[in-house]
Order: sequence, then C-alpha cells, then structure tokens
Amino acid sequence: MDSTDLAHLQRRVRWAYERGRLRRALLGVAPVFVIVAVTACVAHQPMSTLWFGLATVSVGAAMLWYGRDPQKAVLPGIAAGLVPLVLALCANSMHSCGADGCSSLCVHACAVGGVVAGLAVASVGNQRRAGIWFWLSASSLTLLTGAMGCSCIGYSGVAGLGIGFAAGVVPGLLRTVFAKKTS
Amino acid sequence: MGTDPNTLDGLMARLADGDRAVFASVFELLWGPIHRLCVSLLKNEADASDAAQEAMHKILERASDYDKTRPAMPWAMALAAWECRTLARKRTRRRETEEPTHERGSEHSEEEFVQRDLTAAAVSALGELSEADRETLIATFWDEAASVSGATLRKRRERALDRFRKTFRRLYGLD
Repeated sequence: MDSTDLAHLQRRVRWAYERGRLRRALLGVAPVFVIVAVTACVAHQPMSTLWFGLATVSVGAAMLWYGRDPQKAVLPGIAAGLVPLVLALCANSMHSCGADGCSSLCVHACAVGGVVAGLAVASVGNQRRAGIWFWLSASSLTLLTGAMGCSCIGYSGVAGLGIGFAAGVVPGLLRTVFAKKTS
Repeated sequence: MGTDPNTLDGLMARLADGDRAVFASVFELLWGPIHRLCVSLLKNEADASDAAQEAMHKILERASDYDKTRPAMPWAMALAAWECRTLARKRTRRRETEEPTHERGSEHSEEEFVQRDLTAAAVSALGELSEADRETLIATFWDEAASVSGATLRKRRERALDRFRKTFRRLYGLD
C-alpha cells in the first residue's frame, strides 16, 4: 500500500474509532434514561424534568465519547446528583404549614442535597487530585441530574440546588487549588 | 500501573482513555505487524491487504474496550488472525459451490460459540510465540506443506507445539 492509501485507511479507521467510542458512550448513558423515566413519572413537573434529563443524557454521552478527565467525571457526577434528586422527589410529597399557610420543602431539600453533592464531588476530586476539567464536568452533571428533581416548584428549586452545591464544592476546590500552588 | 506511556501498551491505554493525539502512532505501530501476519496467514498480497485493513478497522473500533492490564500486540494479533480466517473461509465457501454446506440448526450454535471462544484463545496464545513458531503452527493449521519436510518439520512442529501448550497454560491455566 502506498502512503496515500495508508493515509486514506488511517482516516477511515479514525472514523471507526470515533464510532466505537460513540457506541460505548451511548451504552454508558443508558442507565440515565431509566433515571429520567422514573423521575418524570414521579415528578410534579415532568416536562422540565424531561428537558433536564435530556441535557443530562446528552452531556453525559458527550463526556463519555470525549474521554480523559470528563469521562472519569461521569460516574461521580451523576452519583452525587442523585442525592438532591432523591431528596427533592421525597420533598415533593411533603410540606410545612405555619401561620401564613403551607409551603413546599423542595427548595430546602435541594439546598441540603446540593451541599451533600458538592462535598461528595469535592471529596472525589481531592482524592484523585483531579484537574479542572474533572471538576467542571462532574459539577455540571451533578447540577443537571439534581435539577431533574429540583425543578419541582420552578427554578427556585434549581437555584437552591446551585447555591447549596457551590457551598459544598468551593472549599474543596480551593483546597485543591492552594495545594497545587504550594507544591 | 508502571507501563511506559510510549510503548504500544502505553499508547493503546492512552487511546482507550480518549487521547486522540496518539492515534497516528498506534496506527503506525500496528499496521506493519498486522499486515505481515495477514500475508503469512493468507499467502496472497491482495487478500492480506483486505484482511489487514478490516482488522485495523476492528482493532481501532474496539480500542476503547482495550484491557490495559493485558499486552496490546497479542490482542491486536488475535483480532487480525480472526479476520484473516474469516476472509479465508469466505473465499473458500465461494469456491465450494458443488459441495453445499449443511445448515445444522440452532442445536449446534452453542458448540459453535465454544469453538469460536477456543479459537480466539488459541489465536491469542499464538500471538505470544516467536514468528518462526507461529509460522510453523499456522502452516500446520492450514494443512500446508512447509518449505522443509520430513523429520525437520516434525521436530520443528513438535517444539512449536510444546511452546504453544506452555503459553496457553500460562495464559489460561489449562491445556
């Protein structure tokens, strides 16, 4: 085979490699479809759950296809995101009543879940001495997964999740940044 | 893990992780040995080229499934040898028009599956032998008369088989 044929073969094989990775990525995110379906059945606002679920699946598949740090962030990101998701779904069926009337516990559940998820992501990131792409990828997937449940009373739940997550993850992230600077 | 990132094993591990910068290096390191193996198996340049291309296609399509704890070359060689065998069978089947193959039904599918697994394991063990041993055993497998004959061939075959048995035992723990 001459060099032109080899270059052509290399291009074809490169496509095959990318197709192989894509197939693997789609298989890898298949369990997330189950999570999205179950959440959509239980959630009060299935449409926003479906949109966040679609975003979670797409971002997760893209990270698995790309590989490297983002790929390694998929499992911890989704696992951490399940905490606010489950808490929010449980809070959907509860409310607290005072003198002014009743209010949902969704925002509180999302904020608490966000803190726990943030601490979990920070713990994994510190343990692995992960780079910035791991932190960004894991954080985005955690927020998207959690948002499937936290959109229960509109976007205030998602905001609660974001604030809680930031409170949980930022100290760990700062610890990593300063540890890297001093070493 | 202690694997040198610049050897084929290291480069394959990086490619499996999604490091596309090493793609060309992996391709170059694999193409020569794969093509040579196909030529030695098929004894026909055109068929060997087809099989080697198909093998490269399969190997790199499955690069993400590569098990980093195992050596990359025997894994790739096993896939390539399998591809050569498939192509050779296709060619033979096309030629055997007067002798129809009997469809034996699903009762034999399990047997075929076991046979396929065993063949893949044998081919993988074959990839760990020296080129001379490999050629001797392949010639035996394909029922081809080697350039040497008689006692020399018998002895060579015996020694290659012995080394093959030892490799198989080391890899899979059985004969």
